[in-house]
Amino acid sequence: MLKVENLYKNFGNVKAVEGISFEVKKGQVFGLLGPNGAGKSTTISIISTLLKPSGGDVLFEGNSVLDNPASIRRKLGVVPQDIALYPTLTGYDNLSFWGSIYGLRGSQLKTRIEDVSDIIGLNGRIKDKVEKYSGGMKRRLNIGAALLHKPELLIMDEPTVGIDTQSRSHILDTVLELNRQGITIIYTSHYMDEVEYLCNELCIMDEGKIIASGTRQELVELVREKTRINIKLNKMDEDVLTVLRGIEGVVDAKKDEDSIALFGSNADVLLADIISRVSEKGWLIETIDVKKPNLKAVFLHLTGKALRD
Amino acid sequence: MKIISIIIKDLKVMFSDKKALAIMILMPMILTAILSMALKGSFSAGSDSDFQPVDIAVVKLYDSREDSERFQSALSNNYFLKEIGEDASKDLMEAGSKLEPEKIFFEDFLESEDVSEFIRCRVEDESKALELLSNKDISAIVLLPSGFEYDMKINLLTPFRNKVEIKVLTHPDSSINGKIVQSVMDAYTNSMSSVIIGKNAIVEAAMANNLGNEAFSSMEDITEDMTDAMKSIKINMEDVVLEGRKPIKSTDYYAVAMMTMFILFAAGQGGRMLLEEKDNLTYQRMSVAGVSKPEILSGKFITVFIIALFQIAVMIIFSDLALKVEWGDPAAVLLISITAAFAVAGLGTFIGAMTYRAGNYKMANAFENVIIQVMALLGGSFFPLDVMPEIMQKLSFLSLNGVALKAYLKILTGYHTEDILTNLLMLGASGAIFILLAVTVLKGEGGKSDVKHNKTKTSQA
Repeated sequence: MLKVENLYKNFGNVKAVEGISFEVKKGQVFGLLGPNGAGKSTTISIISTLLKPSGGDVLFEGNSVLDNPASIRRKLGVVPQDIALYPTLTGYDNLSFWGSIYGLRGSQLKTRIEDVSDIIGLNGRIKDKVEKYSGGMKRRLNIGAALLHKPELLIMDEPTVGIDTQSRSHILDTVLELNRQGITIIYTSHYMDEVEYLCNELCIMDEGKIIASGTRQELVELVREKTRINIKLNKMDEDVLTVLRGIEGVVDAKKDEDSIALFGSNADVLLADIISRVSEKGWLIETIDVKKPNLKAVFLHLTGKALRD
Repeated sequence: MKIISIIIKDLKVMFSDKKALAIMILMPMILTAILSMALKGSFSAGSDSDFQPVDIAVVKLYDSREDSERFQSALSNNYFLKEIGEDASKDLMEAGSKLEPEKIFFEDFLESEDVSEFIRCRVEDESKALELLSNKDISAIVLLPSGFEYDMKINLLTPFRNKVEIKVLTHPDSSINGKIVQSVMDAYTNSMSSVIIGKNAIVEAAMANNLGNEAFSSMEDITEDMTDAMKSIKINMEDVVLEGRKPIKSTDYYAVAMMTMFILFAAGQGGRMLLEEKDNLTYQRMSVAGVSKPEILSGKFITVFIIALFQIAVMIIFSDLALKVEWGDPAAVLLISITAAFAVAGLGTFIGAMTYRAGNYKMANAFENVIIQVMALLGGSFFPLDVMPEIMQKLSFLSLNGVALKAYLKILTGYHTEDILTNLLMLGASGAIFILLAVTVLKGEGGKSDVKHNKTKTSQA
């Protein structure tokens, strides 16, 4: 559906985006993950025709959006990072305006506003002024304004920044529901858990470059040896540590104050082997805890730095 | 259709701002009521207190000595003296030498307590007087014609009637003052006519009763009659009107003055709208939706135009109903209103473009806090231009409100549309020039980073 090919964008001497390429397939929730300043918003702005790249191209359904911006605009919905609404107008007036900008009129517009209000869960407050909304409600309306014209591709640029857990949860469920309805979504965030929860495929960006891409599973494979199993037995001496170190697949073992941490690559196989060996020895397992590698670990592994939440 | 959506939305945004509405709609009404009461005395049709005398120059196109000799000669050679007795003839010659029409005009009339309150005169030759009028050092020239003294003596002392035509030349920019001078001169000639008519009636009656000699012997008393007649001239400002022209009341003036000043605030509001769109990120959102910059700009222009027209309509209705202001020819008023709103919309769009380009609200703030006030002062929105220093009167054409104010006042006083064509042209041209400037400014804007702007919103001063 969307192909980004060797994209560059410079602001003076600052290289905001440096030769990135990726493809978003129809029906996907595609994640762009990276810290602030990674180049996510610049990439989004180029895709949504707000900025012209310094180099490269963006193809939407085979057409260059640089040569023919209209080809994408009609089918594109953008949820900007900041609230792009009129605070002194009501939620209804805001939706009405954005709907009319996309050519909706009369009963068609009215019906669509009702539908969207329902999707974003603001039915009861839609006639209130936006300036009286909570942060979460504004975020939801911000999403609603991008849905009125039934876009095929929805770009959501960090739509959950600075809101409470309940609103965040509502927004994430809304994203999945929209995807279930057939909308392809590009979702940018610096929240690992959101991207892990939502996205089928993702790119990790840092300093204007894509440092890794693929499905979540493929990315996790990059750090598969980072699976960690914490185990506490009725016996916790050096013999135990030696036995556990000898299990195939265990690359390292450390004894903490009241547990032993084992590191390996395949959590499921490793767990079965550990339980089997402990049973053979007649030891009793008091607690066991498996920590599989996540995107946070992937990012740390790739960049040597942690993502800021 | 996108432009219509933008206009509807902008109007909703504007009308949701109660503070801005109060400034633009209520404030001119309140100020009109206050200022028209406080400055009532500055207007010809109001109270006559606090009035500043109008400066005029009197040009004497006659020669006193020549006129006096000519009168004596006329009496000596005139057939009618042969009809009256020697004593009466002698008395009449003596009365002729004593009668001084110039003294009556200057001392008994212009320098009388009543008239000097309104007129301050100086005697100049014709070329100097024209120069003074051209420089607006005086508001009018009164031309006393050739043979003035001779004709006046003939009129006042003999049964004959010679035409005495006193001309008043006024400056087109001092129409109110010109009207005052004209009316004062009318009062003089009317008073003189009454005396002459009265004298002729007495003479004719006396001659019919063979008492002509006694009548002409008493002509000396005419001088005293003249003085009394001059004293009887009272200037009533209600009379200061030219044919077909209506005097301006303080309520008329300030209804127009405040209205033309406060529509400038619509331009100020318009000046903020474009950058507010950018700050709210709605500008970018509209761009993503395929709304072009010209469409957004046109939306702002038409919004300011509608708001200015709305302000004008509200003010006209209010002043008509509450202050009894009669605005004059509705078609002409509509024409001025449309061109004034057009000029204000152009100005608002230009300020909007400059503010957008600058990326902060300093330009819009400076316009509202400084430029509008200067325009208001120059354009006569605070004080009538006639009482302002000459340099400021000359600069008044620089203010949109001043140009519109003059046009409205002309129509209000009874002028016709053809008399305000220059004003209409100036307003229309100003609007068009401002639009061109706005387009030029935004054309030069271009490739600034909207993304960067996302990160730091502009704080509104």
